[in-house]
Amino acid sequence: MSAMKDTDAKVAIYRAIEDWRAGRISRRKMLGVLAAAGVALTSRPMLRRSAPSVSAATLQEAAATQPEEIVAFLRDVGGQFRGTTIRVVSEETPPSRAIINLKKEMFEDITGITVNWEVVPLDQVLAKVSQDAASKLGANDIYYFDQAWVGRFINDTYDPRELLDQKPDLAMPNYNIEDFLEPLVRHIAMYGDKMIGFPCDVPIFMYFYRKDIYDELGLQPATTMEEYLENARIINEAKSGEGTYGTVGQMKSGHYALECDMTAYVWSHGGSVFTADGKCALADDFAIQGVEYMRQLQQYMPTAVTTYDWGGQFTAIQQGQGGQVITWGENFPGWDDPANSKVSGLMEPAPLPANTAQRPPEECGFEEHPDLGHQGGSTYCLSRYSKNADAAWIFLQWATCSNTQTMASIIGGGASPMRQSTFDDPRVKEAAQVGVAGTTRHFPEMYNVIMNRMGTEPHLPQWPLIANDIIAVELGKLTTSDDPTGPAMVEIAKKVDEAASS
Amino acid sequence: MTNADPMTGIERRAGREAVLRRSPFWALGRVINSERPWPWIAPVVILLLGIGLYPFIYNIRNSFREFNPMTGNVEPVGLENWRRLLQDDRLHGAFLTSAKYVLAALVIEFVLGLAIAVLLNSGPAISGLWQSLMILPMVVPPTVAAVMFRVLENPDYGALQWLLEGVGLIDKQEPLLGGTGRYAMAAVLIPEIWQWTPFFVLILLAGLKALPQDPLEAAQVDGAGAWRQFWDITLPMLRPMIAVAVLFRLVDLLKVFDYIFVLTSGGPGTRTEVLSFYAYQRSFVTIEWGYGSVLGIVILVLAIVLANVYVRVFKVAW
Amino acid sequence: MARQTKSWRQLHQGTIVKTLLAAVVSLIFFAPILWWMLASIKPTPEILRSPPRLLGFDPTLNWFRVVLGNADPTRFNIETTGSVGRGSGGSTFYSIPYLRDSMIIAVGSTLLVLLLATPAAYALSRFTIRRSKDLTLWILSQRMLPPVVVAFPLFMMFRDFGLIDTYRGMILVHAAINAPLAILLLRSFFDEVPRELDEAAMIDGATRFGAFRGVLLHYLRGGLAATAVLSFIFSWNEFLLSLVLTTGIVRTVPVASSTFTTAFATEWGYMAALGTASMIPIFIFILLVQRHLVRGLTLGALK
Repeated sequence: MSAMKDTDAKVAIYRAIEDWRAGRISRRKMLGVLAAAGVALTSRPMLRRSAPSVSAATLQEAAATQPEEIVAFLRDVGGQFRGTTIRVVSEETPPSRAIINLKKEMFEDITGITVNWEVVPLDQVLAKVSQDAASKLGANDIYYFDQAWVGRFINDTYDPRELLDQKPDLAMPNYNIEDFLEPLVRHIAMYGDKMIGFPCDVPIFMYFYRKDIYDELGLQPATTMEEYLENARIINEAKSGEGTYGTVGQMKSGHYALECDMTAYVWSHGGSVFTADGKCALADDFAIQGVEYMRQLQQYMPTAVTTYDWGGQFTAIQQGQGGQVITWGENFPGWDDPANSKVSGLMEPAPLPANTAQRPPEECGFEEHPDLGHQGGSTYCLSRYSKNADAAWIFLQWATCSNTQTMASIIGGGASPMRQSTFDDPRVKEAAQVGVAGTTRHFPEMYNVIMNRMGTEPHLPQWPLIANDIIAVELGKLTTSDDPTGPAMVEIAKKVDEAASS
Repeated sequence: MTNADPMTGIERRAGREAVLRRSPFWALGRVINSERPWPWIAPVVILLLGIGLYPFIYNIRNSFREFNPMTGNVEPVGLENWRRLLQDDRLHGAFLTSAKYVLAALVIEFVLGLAIAVLLNSGPAISGLWQSLMILPMVVPPTVAAVMFRVLENPDYGALQWLLEGVGLIDKQEPLLGGTGRYAMAAVLIPEIWQWTPFFVLILLAGLKALPQDPLEAAQVDGAGAWRQFWDITLPMLRPMIAVAVLFRLVDLLKVFDYIFVLTSGGPGTRTEVLSFYAYQRSFVTIEWGYGSVLGIVILVLAIVLANVYVRVFKVAW
Repeated sequence: MARQTKSWRQLHQGTIVKTLLAAVVSLIFFAPILWWMLASIKPTPEILRSPPRLLGFDPTLNWFRVVLGNADPTRFNIETTGSVGRGSGGSTFYSIPYLRDSMIIAVGSTLLVLLLATPAAYALSRFTIRRSKDLTLWILSQRMLPPVVVAFPLFMMFRDFGLIDTYRGMILVHAAINAPLAILLLRSFFDEVPRELDEAAMIDGATRFGAFRGVLLHYLRGGLAATAVLSFIFSWNEFLLSLVLTTGIVRTVPVASSTFTTAFATEWGYMAALGTASMIPIFIFILLVQRHLVRGLTLGALK
């Protein structure tokens, strides 16, 4: 260990933070020390690659420098609601966590509004929000909606476009709603011509591969689905003995994750969940071909995939169990994290393989949009039953404005950007380092998928039942057996039709 | 322990007054110094009614309503939910799965728990430490225990899988967790048994220690063997404790869902879908509150019936 | 003890065998916890290593520093990786407030339940109560409705009474959950103590409450200890109601732990550190209570 320098730096960091806590030095001074020490620390020998230039101190400092016009707006307009407490309930996602950490200094201290942000697991969010909406209690002012729930809750929130028009005195200067990427607004935040809230997060399926393994085996990133399957086979044959399988999936029986994987492969083979007349299309040849494809891929996965949800899959890749994968882009920074990952710096994003066939969205029902880039985005929305709607509206604008979103993208460990300005921001680009935990180096490819390859589930109000229960359970039976695909899909389609018509 | 004659504590009342005056029971004593039972029981009944009555009534009412995703409202549906109950094939499966789960867990936990309690009571050295270690699994929240076992049972990096593979019990193709899910039931029962065998150990051990010693000593004088002593004397005397422990575990087992939720989500397919997990799914995932309430009431009724049967069959004296 | 008849040698051998057996069994049950405790000082790849190592890894105290010391994980991420990382904002991992809330609620509800259940158990044991069987079953039935369907109505009720996010609300609920177990358990302990004891005491001039107190202090220590341990544990572990009846202002350890499994990954290290930290006080509590689980007295003198 080249311990001396290291220890000195740590000591300096501790001292600085303690001094700051005790009020002996200013925040700026403390951050300065951190920045200096951070640079010293990055030369540690345990790092696999050269030290990145991004230091947390500069990020934190940047976080503390909010544009003056926003500060003025929060102080003058938000200040009218000093003493108000607003409540938010959300899942624990990278952007949520980032905003929770930014809100005190950048919002609460300036406006005097208290934000009580409750983080709970996703199905509890659904339960809490459903109860709130059904009972019209207004227990939460801001809701977090997964895109799958848009159809169900579309009448329970204020359309933010209307709010921007109707409440000019509460509108944040230069909020610029046009800055949100158009496909995100359309796919995640719209149902019919109503807008449910602002997009806040977009986990989206991307193609990642282990560069070291591809190089070793002489593989190229796949451009077609067949090549992708073939690559999985080759990797599996060469490497599964060492514990690295061809690919990994999130195929936990009975879990929504399985449905997400299925739709991606159904879509990429020309299938869809519904046809334009609202009938389930999961039993047609395209869909069956897609599910067959998924089952072929499954041969090249660890046996545990039938119990992996997205977290299990994330960990498997992180521990070096997969040679390639098509899955949520937001996983990527965690794989690049050298402290926790065995594949730091080894994964590369690549363009998604072309679809074998693709059904145009007009031929699908309930605003389904088939494409391989399955998205699982979410929105922050203002509840119609809120008793502090004005204060909550100000918070909502702050949480989704360009500066805050950019901050969240950097400190949130790779939270996906929603806005063009965030993708273009030099601070975001600067964080595109190889082999660091908060990397943004997959953003260009993510942007590409969002703009060109995004796939979106149908959004009928019964969708949570269909996706989380019917498909997840019935398909789970299939993927843990040797049964033929066709009859099982006929059965699934029958049950989906029953649910959709009820 | 060399304690005083049992009578002295009561005879030397005056000397203990000072101590007791400080105890919370002192104040209560003024209220319940009665030969009638109700003053003694009323406070806890009020607590139970206060917390329990409204949810009970609510669920009865809710069973005749259902959340309508189209309108976003809870609407009256008459007997629809109860009719659905009769036609629900998945519910039948869940009943059977529950029966398997509850029976397996209860039998294994009870037998193992009793054996360990007897062992710990038989005078090993530093028994306090062993007892404390035994109780520890219970203090891990079940949600966390399930997450722990998700790692321990992982086919590729799980320590338990590694151990079982090492002794040749299972292989990687058909692991504890994953594959075709042949061992899925075992996979969810392992943390269940690990956490709740200690429950039996704790209660039965406390029961064993509280047993009066004279019958045992009399039997020893009569030259009865250890096994006879246990079977004829200890076990019958322990019956009230066993009754309480089994009844409570039974009631709680009907409600268990954490291990299943985290480890298998009821899968593969519905193979590990027990009643309580099914009810959880209806209420929290698919948002069918009305039907969820019906399932909740079913669990309640089932528990009451089973408790009654148990009390009758095993002649528990209440 | 009655074993005096056996030779010292036999006795000794017996004890060794029993001790070994007890050690093996309890260590098997302890093994997952040991693994979990070790995980709290291991870096992530080491936690997920198979087979797990007892020694020979680079221990880290970072998880504990964040969970107990409110250190900023961002800083540790710089130290170890040179950049901010996942879980960069640390506020939600700092767990002393969760431990405090859990402790207050568990201790409070345990005391309350003992206070209310002990007299009820005594009455059920000693008095003739009409339909006492029905009463007992009714008490037991209070634990039978699954929390899934109880949570929401309780939430509405708590909202109306202003009990959301309060210690007293959670204490009441947990006491109600534990009351049936406490009553039935204590009742069976009272049942083991002959009624003649009370009667003898009352003939000697003790009041009914005095008799109750005497029995309680002398024979129920083990029973009270076991009941207290169980009530405490059930309250400490209770998840769903704590989740629904609080909104984060009060937050118990199981609810907090559930948020350590984020949308994309499980924060093993933080979870293990919190788990370990929360186990230590209970372990000490159990060790202390252990000495009350002593052998019951010989009652022969009375008969």
